[in-house]
Amino acid sequence: MLLEGVSFTARSGEILGVIGPNGAGKTTLFEAIAGFVPKTGGSVECDALFYLPEAIRPWPDRRVGWCLDFFARLFRRQRDREAIEMLQLDQLLEARIGTLSKGEARRFVLALALGTPQAVLLLDEPFDGLDFRQTRSAMSLLRARAAAGRALILSIHQLADAARVCDRFLLLDHGRAIGEGDLRELQTRARKEDATLDEVFLALE
Amino acid sequence: MRWSEGRALLSKDCRELFGSTALLLLLLVAGPLTGVAFIAAVRAYAEASGGGALASALSPLDGMLVPAFGAYDLLITFLVPFVAIRLVAAEKSSGALQLLLQTPARLPAQLASKLIALLAGWLACLLPAAAALLLWRSWGGHLAFPETANLLLGHTLRYLVTCSIAIAAASILNGAASAAIVVLSFTIGTWALDFFAAGRGGWPAAVARYTPSAILRQFERGLLGLDVVIASIIVTIALLSIAAIWTAAARPPLLKAAAAAAALILAIAAIAATQHAGSADLSEDRRNSFSSADERLLRSIEKTVTIRIFLAAEDPRANDYERNVLTKMRRSLRDLRIEYPYAGRTAMFDNDDRYGTIVYRIGAKEAVSRSATEEIVLDEMETLAGLTPPRRGQSDYPGYPLNASPRGAATLFYVVWPLLVIVFFVIARRPYSRRTG
Repeated sequence: MLLEGVSFTARSGEILGVIGPNGAGKTTLFEAIAGFVPKTGGSVECDALFYLPEAIRPWPDRRVGWCLDFFARLFRRQRDREAIEMLQLDQLLEARIGTLSKGEARRFVLALALGTPQAVLLLDEPFDGLDFRQTRSAMSLLRARAAAGRALILSIHQLADAARVCDRFLLLDHGRAIGEGDLRELQTRARKEDATLDEVFLALE
Repeated sequence: MRWSEGRALLSKDCRELFGSTALLLLLLVAGPLTGVAFIAAVRAYAEASGGGALASALSPLDGMLVPAFGAYDLLITFLVPFVAIRLVAAEKSSGALQLLLQTPARLPAQLASKLIALLAGWLACLLPAAAALLLWRSWGGHLAFPETANLLLGHTLRYLVTCSIAIAAASILNGAASAAIVVLSFTIGTWALDFFAAGRGGWPAAVARYTPSAILRQFERGLLGLDVVIASIIVTIALLSIAAIWTAAARPPLLKAAAAAAALILAIAAIAATQHAGSADLSEDRRNSFSSADERLLRSIEKTVTIRIFLAAEDPRANDYERNVLTKMRRSLRDLRIEYPYAGRTAMFDNDDRYGTIVYRIGAKEAVSRSATEEIVLDEMETLAGLTPPRRGQSDYPGYPLNASPRGAATLFYVVWPLLVIVFFVIARRPYSRRTG
């Protein structure tokens, strides 16, 4: 996927949702920002960031607790107990990562990312596989972390989830940015008062 | 990076390695394979120790150490690459590498940690060899520490180079299978080069000096060649650098290839610069050296000694001369120049009177000989230098015959060792309690 003319700002203390259908370039955008794919142009200006890729299951033979501690040691920090509690991982600390369900694995890697000290977090599909209770809990945790001064950039294809958790949105379609702003600004731009996020997206694409 | 982070990385890599099925299989095979080689060697050694001149010249290096450690040659060639590839490829495919690359742990430290973990795996793999040495000693067998340690060093260097090739291949390619094919192709390529260079000389022979098999052969003769030690270390560092270049930040593939090529060229230049960096004969029977008296005489020659060998490279006499005389000569003379005027020719059947001659020149004096026999060559050279050849008697090497039966070895290598390995892995991979579903 090629990205063209995508320019946006994410501020400290806010959650920016990168919205778009499959193939819109959300993951490519994140990988380019994190330096995992070569850039032919453009630049990224931001504080230290951490990118959590979609659908990864690192070190499947190790235990959840061991992995959280290992990661914390690399960043010279303690285990993030609040994240472990809110993501309901405390009962899974002795479980082998390879045996986790999809939702459990997602919560585990989310805890890994939130345990890093980076000012900017890029989270690719953070709620993928989570049930509605877990999603609500994870959203509360993300809101709390944003309120503490971090900038969170989330790639979400479930627009209802995005509308609930994000402060502002970057709408991507076929590698191009088709809008940036909060829901009201996007509604105004799409000339659709009271429209939902998906209606706004369809009007702008 | 702090020590605690380095320890965390090493702990992670050791857990990954020692919990892997690949290492389990390697360790399982290491015991019986070493056992087969060791037991056969002990039986053959006992037969040869039966009496006569052969018994009094028996060397544990040739008779037991090299055959028993030969099992590791097979393991390193065919199994170790998979163990090393798995250590890198598993992190790539699971997404762990993407996470690690964003931590404060630098990539060189991450790769070094993997190599150290693999060395720990090598130590575990060497336990059957250690058991073989202990058994040998318990039966009254003789072991000379320098030649034993030297052989161990040779296998360790080979292991290091193989692991770094595997790490580089796994870093560059997507998929463990592709990396395995590349590593095995490399091994087959070095065998082909050995075969090709054997009958030629020139640059193929110069390059073939550094194939893993050729390096190991030096150590198996009890020779510690500084150039091959340095070359092995340089190759290891170069391959790990290539792995780092490929794994690091996103760069266009062409740029990565150029950087990797530059690392390789630097490595080749460094190896070329350290060619013939000196060597030490660590064999107890001093098979790679002239007698002390001859060495003293040869060292006293201050002028440049030039040897012109009018033999084609594929001529067996050239190989004999190289192995029996020149290897020792290089280590004894201060200033030696060797020329092969016929190296590039197939001159064996040419009607050339000079073919087969070896010309020695010291200062203005010159002598021509056709002999490749050590004593004759030494007499020729020392006389030419105006020295009196010493009296050469029997070798001082006493020989270490041992008529022992390998009792208990089969049980240890075929039963106890596999059981120990299985118990270790069952404990290491025991299922963790899972309080919730």
